[in-house]
Amino acid sequence: MTALLESGNFILDSLLRFVETSGFGAFFAEGGWKYAVMIALACFLLYLAIKKQFEPLLLLPIAFGMLLTNLPGAEMFHPTLFDEGQIDWYDLYKTGGLLDFLYLGVKLGIYPCLIFVGVGAMTDFGPLIANPKSFLLGAAAQLGIFATFLGAYALGFAPNECGSIGIIGGADGPTSIFITARLAPELLGPIAIAAYSYMALVPVIQPPIMRALTTDKERRIKMSQLRQVSKTEKILFPIIIAVVISLLLPSAAPLVGCLMLGNLMKECGVVDRLSKTVQNELMNIVVIFLGISVGATATAGSFLNFKTLGILVLGILAFSCGTAGGVLLAKLMNLFAKEGKKINPLIGSAGVSAVPMAARVSQTVGQEYDKSNFLLMHAMGPNVAGVVGSAVAAGILLAFLG
Amino acid sequence: MDKFANVGWSEMLLMALIGFLLVFTVLVLLIYVMRLMGWFFTRDRKPKTAAVVASEPALDHAISDQELAAAIITALKLYKSALHDQESEMLTINRITRAYSPWNSKIHGLTQVPEKK
Repeated sequence: MTALLESGNFILDSLLRFVETSGFGAFFAEGGWKYAVMIALACFLLYLAIKKQFEPLLLLPIAFGMLLTNLPGAEMFHPTLFDEGQIDWYDLYKTGGLLDFLYLGVKLGIYPCLIFVGVGAMTDFGPLIANPKSFLLGAAAQLGIFATFLGAYALGFAPNECGSIGIIGGADGPTSIFITARLAPELLGPIAIAAYSYMALVPVIQPPIMRALTTDKERRIKMSQLRQVSKTEKILFPIIIAVVISLLLPSAAPLVGCLMLGNLMKECGVVDRLSKTVQNELMNIVVIFLGISVGATATAGSFLNFKTLGILVLGILAFSCGTAGGVLLAKLMNLFAKEGKKINPLIGSAGVSAVPMAARVSQTVGQEYDKSNFLLMHAMGPNVAGVVGSAVAAGILLAFLG
Repeated sequence: MDKFANVGWSEMLLMALIGFLLVFTVLVLLIYVMRLMGWFFTRDRKPKTAAVVASEPALDHAISDQELAAAIITALKLYKSALHDQESEMLTINRITRAYSPWNSKIHGLTQVPEKK
């Protein structure tokens, strides 16, 4: 009888130990609720990606990475290996798992650059070459970056964190990740999620600002047709931009250099296989790795705090200021432009990058007022100028704060 | 973090201002580079047009592109309106044979007159 009781107790103890060490047990331990919240948040992001199709190509792997890293007990990602901006190589080889090794691509700035090669190969800089003034609109839209930089400081963030948060205004996911991995890696999760979520919300955020800052007459301005751009110009453009920007701002060279390499592959026409690879296979593989590893950094400890809330608020400020900057500069340029050479201010908002979504928004809002007004090609100029502008702004912030 | 110990509002404002101005400066520089490139690749077209205009001293007044286009269009219109239609004068009868079916049968398509008895 005693032996039976003893074995019963042993089994009960074992079961209790099993329950305590299981993931379910961790939910009831101190601070366990945070895991539940993070899992619920990851599921919400999965819902947004699958059902609402908010940037699904990136949001889905990010949300799943977030889900994996917040499964208590699984310990799939070890943030301690990358503490204080340093990589603990010895422990990484000893204890590192798949997510730790994938995260190296983010930490070392490899994935954003590879994505930029693909983005370059998919971008047509023709409208920008035909109308170089678009560079001004691309520059004005970077107002969002620097206004948010100051806004973040007002909320009590450290200067390096301000730089990372400000770059959300560039509306450029890879650039945000590239900068944050260098300046404030602990904020990578919230910043990447804010950047991609707001990029998906560009059609919601931008139109009210565009309407508020323009008059009915301005929205109906028809722009003259762009000139034809020769193949030689298109080939020379990436080479010239890469050389000029890299010489002026060496810290922007990795991003701009990769963007222009991809574009040269597309335009030269002699490496079609490489061009197709970087546009499809390479891009897709890197997006999967980037998404999962960025999502993995969104651990309960680093995500559930007031900083995240601040980043989400500042992110929307960044997008709004960027949009306003582009539209206002277009209006200012119109004051000095001759009749027939005026710019439709709606294309200014496309300067916030977010290619090609922001350009499509300009086209859609323009057509609401005049069905025969086609702004898409005109908006593509500031749109791709915004990509170059945000990479330049990133280089400047790195030079100041890196 | 110690690196930023001495950074205050004035430094942050300066950084933001200089940063924004630098973005503008770099991109304005690129505008000039692009314009230079555009000029280089389109310069061949402009001097030719200028040379043609210069080599026509008989024209006392300059003819604008729109006037020129209007003159060409009018000439073409007059020329085309003076032309008669020319047809090929070739007639071809294509025989189409269809397999018999009650649906395309003429006799079945006619209204059947009732027989008087």
